[in-house]
Amino acid sequence: MATVTIADIDNTVIDPATRPGVMTGRNSPGSVTEQVASLAERSRPSTAWKAAFAISVSATLMFFSLVGYLIATGVGVWGNNAPVFWGWPIVNFVFWVGIGHAGTLISAILFLFRQNWRTSINRFAEAMTIFAVTCAGIFPAIHIGRVWFVYWLAPVPNSLAMWPNFRSPLLWDVFAVTAYATTSALFWYLGMLPDLATLRDRATTKLRRMAYGIAALGWNGSSQQWRLFEKAYLLLAALATPLVLSVHTIVSFDFATSQMPGWHTTIFPPYFVAGAVFSGFAMVITLMVPARAFFGLKNLVTLRHLENMCKVVLATGMMVGYAYGIEFFIAWYGGNQYEQFAFINRALGPYWWAYWTMVSCNVLAPQLFWFKGVRTTPWAMVAICVFVNVGMWFERFVITVTSLSRDFLPSSWGYFVPTPVDILMFLGSFGLFFTLFLLFCRYLPMVAMAEVKSVMPHGEAH
Amino acid sequence: MSLLEEQPNTKQYWRSLDELAEKPAFQDWMSREFPTAASELPDGLSRRRWMQLMGASLALGGIAGCRWEAEEFAPFTVRPQNRMPGEKQYFSTMWEHAGYARPLTVTSIDGRPIKIEGNTEHPATEGATNSWDQALVLSMYDPDRTTGLFERSRRKTVSRSWDEFDRMLEQRVAGHREQQGSGLAIIHEASSSPTRQRLLKEFRKRMPEAFICELDPARVHTAKAAASKAFGRDVRVQRHFDKARIIACFDADPFQEDADSAQMIQGWSKSRSPDGAWMNRLYCVESRVSLTGSNADHRLPTRSSDILATLVDLEILITAAEAKPVKRPSEDAPKRDQVLAALADDLVRHRGSSILMAGAHQSADVHTAIHRLNQRLDNFGSTLSLLPVESHESVQVTTLIESVQSGQVTTLVLLDCNPVYGSEHSGAFRKTLQMIPMAIHLGTHRNETARLCHWHVPMSHPLESWQDGRTHDGTITVGQPLIAPLFDGLSPIELLGKMLGLKQQSADLVRGTLVGLDNRFRTEKEWRRVIHDGFVADSASQPLSEIRFTSSLQQGVRTADLSDPGDIEIVITHSEATYDGRFANNGWMQETPNSISKLTWDNAALMSPATARHLLVQHGEIVQIEFSGGSVDVPVFELPGVAANSIQLALGYGRTAAGHVGGLTDEGIGPVGVDVSGLLPVDGSQILTGATVTPTGRMWKLATTQDHFAIDTVGLEAIGQRVGELIRTGTISEYREHPDFAEHSGPHHPPLESLWDERPYDGHKWGMAIDLNKCIGCNACMVACQSENNVPIVGKEQVLGGREMHWIRNDRYFSGDPEDPQVDHQPVTCHHCENAPCEQVCPVAATVHSDEGLNDMVYNRCVGTRYCANNCPYKVRRFNFLDYNKQLEEPEGELLQLMINPEVTVRSRGVMEKCTYCVQRIQDGKIDAKNERRSLSDGDVKTACQEACPASAIVFGDLNDPDSAVAAAHASDRSYGMLSELNTRPRTKYLAKIRNPHPWLEDRSPHARGHNGTHSQTLTEDAHHKDAASALLPIIEGH
Repeated sequence: MATVTIADIDNTVIDPATRPGVMTGRNSPGSVTEQVASLAERSRPSTAWKAAFAISVSATLMFFSLVGYLIATGVGVWGNNAPVFWGWPIVNFVFWVGIGHAGTLISAILFLFRQNWRTSINRFAEAMTIFAVTCAGIFPAIHIGRVWFVYWLAPVPNSLAMWPNFRSPLLWDVFAVTAYATTSALFWYLGMLPDLATLRDRATTKLRRMAYGIAALGWNGSSQQWRLFEKAYLLLAALATPLVLSVHTIVSFDFATSQMPGWHTTIFPPYFVAGAVFSGFAMVITLMVPARAFFGLKNLVTLRHLENMCKVVLATGMMVGYAYGIEFFIAWYGGNQYEQFAFINRALGPYWWAYWTMVSCNVLAPQLFWFKGVRTTPWAMVAICVFVNVGMWFERFVITVTSLSRDFLPSSWGYFVPTPVDILMFLGSFGLFFTLFLLFCRYLPMVAMAEVKSVMPHGEAH
Repeated sequence: MSLLEEQPNTKQYWRSLDELAEKPAFQDWMSREFPTAASELPDGLSRRRWMQLMGASLALGGIAGCRWEAEEFAPFTVRPQNRMPGEKQYFSTMWEHAGYARPLTVTSIDGRPIKIEGNTEHPATEGATNSWDQALVLSMYDPDRTTGLFERSRRKTVSRSWDEFDRMLEQRVAGHREQQGSGLAIIHEASSSPTRQRLLKEFRKRMPEAFICELDPARVHTAKAAASKAFGRDVRVQRHFDKARIIACFDADPFQEDADSAQMIQGWSKSRSPDGAWMNRLYCVESRVSLTGSNADHRLPTRSSDILATLVDLEILITAAEAKPVKRPSEDAPKRDQVLAALADDLVRHRGSSILMAGAHQSADVHTAIHRLNQRLDNFGSTLSLLPVESHESVQVTTLIESVQSGQVTTLVLLDCNPVYGSEHSGAFRKTLQMIPMAIHLGTHRNETARLCHWHVPMSHPLESWQDGRTHDGTITVGQPLIAPLFDGLSPIELLGKMLGLKQQSADLVRGTLVGLDNRFRTEKEWRRVIHDGFVADSASQPLSEIRFTSSLQQGVRTADLSDPGDIEIVITHSEATYDGRFANNGWMQETPNSISKLTWDNAALMSPATARHLLVQHGEIVQIEFSGGSVDVPVFELPGVAANSIQLALGYGRTAAGHVGGLTDEGIGPVGVDVSGLLPVDGSQILTGATVTPTGRMWKLATTQDHFAIDTVGLEAIGQRVGELIRTGTISEYREHPDFAEHSGPHHPPLESLWDERPYDGHKWGMAIDLNKCIGCNACMVACQSENNVPIVGKEQVLGGREMHWIRNDRYFSGDPEDPQVDHQPVTCHHCENAPCEQVCPVAATVHSDEGLNDMVYNRCVGTRYCANNCPYKVRRFNFLDYNKQLEEPEGELLQLMINPEVTVRSRGVMEKCTYCVQRIQDGKIDAKNERRSLSDGDVKTACQEACPASAIVFGDLNDPDSAVAAAHASDRSYGMLSELNTRPRTKYLAKIRNPHPWLEDRSPHARGHNGTHSQTLTEDAHHKDAASALLPIIEGH
């Protein structure tokens, strides 16, 4: 490092005497506004953005074409079979829902715990959450055999005079995911109001003024509005907090309440939540590191933010590792031969490769975060976090597919092989995710300007 | 002469559309139909268009005239007698298979036959069926059936009318008649039909110079000749399995391949009860793993070429045992010595109550040895009887071929046969047909032979025609048509009648035969009774009272050496699915998994894992098998239990003109499997030694419904742990000591409590019991269920993907040594759990419990989350991943629509389905009882699988009825619920399988696995000790 820039200032060493700030460099409210808002105000996007957008939009189009093909032809276009009635679509669903955990956790739980460092990354993480939940929501809907009757899962009064079956965890799942998606979206939008108003006020064209004006819902920054805003934000945070825990708990019930060996375990709710936070934070890091470099936000999203997230990844990674271990222990200790076999089969059966991919990515890879050097080296953390996300996808694959492929009756054992449609749809869902994400980067304030300002060391700049 | 003229209403009895069919307008339409449509046909017409044009002729089955506006629609303003719209009607009829009649009772709704059952009144079969019987209905509605007459000239094939055919035939036959029939030849398959024999006799009388050649598709000529030689006259052996205490099969498969298999299965299962005074013991010495062998108490894998040597050794042992009781061989002796010693001991002890038999493909020497041993053991007259066989003159196939080639024969009439495909003479036949000036083929399909003949005449299906035949015991059986021929067409007897210039209709031909036998059939009452019953009572052949053994019996081979164990032996037998290929276009049969290998849609070179290792080939690899000039490329299937260095091939595959299911190369539809008949030597022997097997390195995907054997170590160990709990077995001595061993063989678990309230079942409480001791794994139930419940076939690709749809399946487990395993069969249907795991997880409540305890599947509520199937521990739920019934909506599917059981919903894509306990039959039974103002009694409701089962292994009924058979079965000591430790409370219970090993071999056979791992305190230490050895499982690397 020949020259020292503000972005490189290490605020990861916490010296009680100096208490390094959450942000680095000489930031003022004005500079933050300028820095963040100008990103959304650029008249022409960069070539890199355009290239990335073109790729993701193509993938999105492919995704929706495949959905059309699927609906026209039947779920037989996937590799699902008997006994693996749930294959990649459910794996993808759980994967995306899991990723959607970081945002609300950062926004709500860290907000309630007064973790000020969250302000720089919460907008970003929340956006990611919503896009991930969008991707997640599509899979279970198109996964069913007769998509056109998907509304029968909702408890709406109807001429059939039929209620859904409230004993079914799938129904709880519908409630959990929709509640989570709604709350997350509200929370994100509400938090964005002051910033949208800023963009409105800075708008130079009529169209932008109109669009941001409508989106800002008449925010004028009066103390009355701020008082209500903060109260509402706190309430929503309080509401969202249990949802963070509940949504993946209930997703895990899809598995845990069944009697499938390998699914029927009480450890699933905490294990799933830990795994979700794990994968969510890994995804935030994966996206944040390039975004902060690309959009020049290193002073706002500092190494300290990244390091804190790495610590969360390390902690949750170990929880997940613990869960893997305890599952084996309980399977042995429980004395149920089917349960025992389910776990031995995971590790040593035909899907051993998936299991060991999962373990090495989820348990071994994050251990590198014990080293501060790794925690503070952006490319290293991206690499590890990509591994974590691969590992977490495999975790869901291992749980779903290996358990189903060999359950009670050996006569009905099978082996699951994905079709090209399976693979392309999974890739296509990334296209959708990145399309939404790139649009967010292009048109919305990526950092919560108002919140960042509230935690800035006042005085220094005045 | 014409009795029909006297009684014009005779046919109304059986054919509900008769009135309609005899209307002049209708007949006019029918006769106009063909020429008109035919003239519209350009060459190279697409099949779809063809079917559209022909659509109207499909419509005969109760929907006559509903397709074209011009048709005269004939509503039943006066409802014909016996006709209730939508009501089921049952008719007795028959068809012929392997040269003998198979009596049937056919269910017909609105004039459409939809389901086949066995004729329960018939003395020979008592209602037993096999999968071919069950699949017959699909063959009738096969869209590939010939729709009209074709004449093939040099370049093209043109449609012809019946008039043109009649003129041609008349001319042709007249020409030959003048020369005493010289130059004319008829080829037909062996048939027991008295009418056919009568007409052929007549034919011989009128045209003594004509050739009549009888084909032997069952390939029993060697056995027949050996029997004739041994007993000095043509006889057939009737085996009374119910009377036999010891049954020893040498390369025989009486449960599968014989014409009287159904009777033998019944007899076997009757004396297989562990609660009876005695229980039979079954020994099998065989190279393949036959269905019978898989049920044997002692199975000795032995190469087919060593059967003779084995019999010689056995005879020596018997001689020794007759002199003084044989000593128990040492435990270290080879298994062969031990089993043969035990068998000899058993046979001598049970003189006069044993049966020895050999497979039809074995040599004449083997059959002679078997007859000699049976004679020596006094079995004739007790367990075996000899029935006289009328001999017919028949020229040899080779003679016929020579005569054609020398120009001696100029006209060949082929009655319902396909000699160009699948036999040792196929090649010669192919050449012959190219040389002959005129060949006329009668058949339901334009098969390989038809395509080479000058004329092809559509044949009416057995369900569309009058016919007769004899069952194996000789009972005269009569078949009536259930429906007017869908595509017009003649039955073989009608064509023979035509050739003889008889003006009688086929019903009269059959009746004429009966009248010839007994004058009483002149009366309408007697005739009607025969049609109603489907057979002539007390017409079974009288067994020969005196059996003469010729000296040839004693001259048989007395010494034989074992063949070189390193030699590769090829054994070619009929397919269990397609027989000799005649069922190749039947999708049900193609998709029914082989009872042992579980292979569908293919044949393969079955060999044991050790043989595969020895040949350096692996499962799925294509090998080239060469034998005396012939060569075939077949994929390898590693099947445990096949004798070392023995390769088993099945006939009946690789057809090139079967149809859209079984292969139609003209339309680019590849054959299913490989035709291995090219390996057959001209003498027709089916055991070939000295073949060479060369690996090709190419791989072939084999679609099995259950994992093939080369499964990983972890899985195999788990299977070894589980099988004993899933299929609980014990020996007869263990059972007598601990009658309730089955109950204690399951895992230990804490007291089971349900999350939900228990329901009372006050009314009916349906339940099922499957006796594993009787079930032989023959698959008749699978096809019956497919037919009854409109279960679609999905094709090879989907089976490969694990998406077969069978509602009842037969699980097969191997245990023990992979070269000599124990095989267990277990049919699995929906268990209708009282505490059903599927019901709790369905988010839309599409699967719910009825107040009679049925686990109902509401198709139109199902959205297809498939969660229920995941949560079903029995994995009996089937999902419509794709639109498997699409074919029904296409033009060619119109014919198949007629086959659909209207009482069962055809499921659409995206919904789950599964066994319903035949809920439609339950409702039928309840409605009938209600109409008759009585309560439902036991046996009023029979499920399709139960009705089809030849071994009566399945019972179904009301558990609330204490006198019902199912309640008794559930209360049996042997009953247990599979996986009941999950608190599913299954309504289907299994009755444990009891083996009856020879006491000498009891300790060493891998039976009695019911208690491994998880123990039962009631069992002795000794029993535990045994498990340790028997639980040892084969480990095969790779997958």
